[in-house]
Amino acid sequence: MGRKLNNVLGAVTLALMVVALWMIFAWVPTEAEQGIVQRIFYFHVPCAWVAFAAFAIVAVAGVFYLWLGGQIWDDLGYAAAEIGMLFCTLMLLTGSLWAKPIWGTWWTWDSRLTTSFVLWLLYGGYLLMRAMLEESGQVARFAAVVGIVAALDVPVVIVSVRLWRTIHPAVLVTRQGGHGLQDPRMVVTLLVSITAFTLMFAWLLMLRLAILRTRTRLDEIARAIAIAEFRAGRA
Amino acid sequence: MSAFAAILSKDLRLELRSGVSTIAMVALAMLVLVVLVFALNPGVARGPEAAAGALWIALVFAGMLGASRALMAESENECIRALLISPVDRATLYAAKLAASAIFMLVALGAGAILTVLFFNLEFSGALVRLAPILILGVIGFAALATLLAAISGRARGGELLLPLLVVPMFVPALIAGVRASTAALSAAPMATARDWIGILVAFDVLFVTAGYLLFEHVIGQE
Amino acid sequence: MAAPIVETHALGKSFGLVPVLLEANLRVASGRAAVIIGGNGAGKSTLLAILAGLSAPSTGYALVFGQDSRRLDPDGRRRIGMLSHRSFLYPNLTAAENLEFYATLYRIENPRGAAHSWLRRVGLANFGGERVRMFSRGMEQRLAAARAMIAEPTLLILDEPFAALDSDGVAIMTDLIRTELARGCAVVASAHARLAIEGVELEQYEISRGRLIPHPETVEAPRAGRLRSLLGRPNQ
Repeated sequence: MGRKLNNVLGAVTLALMVVALWMIFAWVPTEAEQGIVQRIFYFHVPCAWVAFAAFAIVAVAGVFYLWLGGQIWDDLGYAAAEIGMLFCTLMLLTGSLWAKPIWGTWWTWDSRLTTSFVLWLLYGGYLLMRAMLEESGQVARFAAVVGIVAALDVPVVIVSVRLWRTIHPAVLVTRQGGHGLQDPRMVVTLLVSITAFTLMFAWLLMLRLAILRTRTRLDEIARAIAIAEFRAGRA
Repeated sequence: MSAFAAILSKDLRLELRSGVSTIAMVALAMLVLVVLVFALNPGVARGPEAAAGALWIALVFAGMLGASRALMAESENECIRALLISPVDRATLYAAKLAASAIFMLVALGAGAILTVLFFNLEFSGALVRLAPILILGVIGFAALATLLAAISGRARGGELLLPLLVVPMFVPALIAGVRASTAALSAAPMATARDWIGILVAFDVLFVTAGYLLFEHVIGQE
Repeated sequence: MAAPIVETHALGKSFGLVPVLLEANLRVASGRAAVIIGGNGAGKSTLLAILAGLSAPSTGYALVFGQDSRRLDPDGRRRIGMLSHRSFLYPNLTAAENLEFYATLYRIENPRGAAHSWLRRVGLANFGGERVRMFSRGMEQRLAAARAMIAEPTLLILDEPFAALDSDGVAIMTDLIRTELARGCAVVASAHARLAIEGVELEQYEISRGRLIPHPETVEAPRAGRLRSLLGRPNQ
């Protein structure tokens, strides 16, 4: 992915993000029940979408790595996990900021926040594992396996948490979490925001991937130098 | 005798001779229950819900110990390398290790379940019989995850911390389902109410035993 | 000449940034024995691990029974016997139980009978019921040799086979190696210093800067065992 293409992507992202911000803060009407606070929804949902999508990318990259080999798949998985973790954290933060005015508490174990939190833990485990096993030559394989297993886990988490929270409602289980989009402008704003965030994710992913690939190249060169020195007898 | 049976019986025989792992797991399960009883007031630490929660906490902690030990048993004299050189399938090795861990965990949890009924003032009548299949399902699911992930965490310095960090989030669905189903088993509630939870446990087990079976070869061996 | 049992092509292995093997070329045919000589850390064990399929080469490849060593099928693995630095024995199992276990894994008919017969061959017939944790290092080594050979391998990989053996043990090991070679087995062994095995023609290689150099001139024996220093006779 050439630098020029990445810059174009960045520019488009910036433009669309500006548009989205304008729509969120100026254009879209205030929601009837929750008031101004509801605008967080237009940040929260795209972050959630990106966090889950990134996780899927980690898993798919893992499958390709195990199947085809090729360091690029591992680099892709790692990059997606890092950026995904960023958006996952944002998702939790926006969720919490949203919960406080609506439900009066900074955190609640409703089904969506709970699932998000488990996702965050899964990401954390993946990244921690990578950090701890960096020196092992096998870290890419391990990461692929962990990514795949974690991704398989996510649907089960969603189902079980949802079942748990409908049977045992905690604080407040009004599904007013934001699916009553009365005005078509709200739908448009949401879609634009999702697109803007997705583009931002793609742009950050490409940047991070480029860095990782450069690092891979540097490693290859370092290895070749080490071999050459070894061959020459470590003069 | 098949390779699976040979490895499993070897592990069981070794465990019977030293008994270190199972004793440690029983002790850990008991300690968890004791801590909970003292940490919660007697008014809270009673009844099926608290008991089910306590038992599954014990399952998670004892299971962590059991899984890492099952793989560690092969590190003495590097026997794991001998297993890898041998004609045995990696997947078969996984199945045998999973089975061994599960059996040890069940023994430990059997003791734990009895203590739970005692400590949390429950009735014995049939509770343990109803509880057994749920614990079996939970143990299989946990062992499936832990056996696979312990092969990874065992490679890291300080890997004892890594294993729980990987396993616990992944185990959440089984934990949620298992505790609810266990609550139903420990109270006199008809098991039909727990049907959905048991369904989740079964799906969890099938999913992760299969995943572990297919993926184990990628995490073991290859120096 | 028949296809070699073991063949490596420009085999290279680096651990991270540390190269160990560079371009190791080796060919060992059926009934032949090769000895890899080198000091600590020279790469002997690394090379043997690659041949056993435990380790993947960084560059080049190794063929065992004509198969890529990274992808040996179960049939191929069944024909490999390995003696390593560590004994591969379970300390809390008896000698007989250890042998029976591995015999079962290697799909030998009548594992119990095979175990007892091999215990006799390595002079441990009276210790079959003893747990391995009670064994001396020399006894362990003998039992480990039995473990390696019980499945009648076509390739024997021996990492410093004479280490920790007394004169009886050396005699037994020599006899075992000779018998296996006569059966058509190929042997790849490693040693610290130049080795001579009575009645066996050895192809000697020295590991030098990651390469295998055949027939070295003279190699210092850093710590020759009593018997080994007596074996300075030329190869027959």
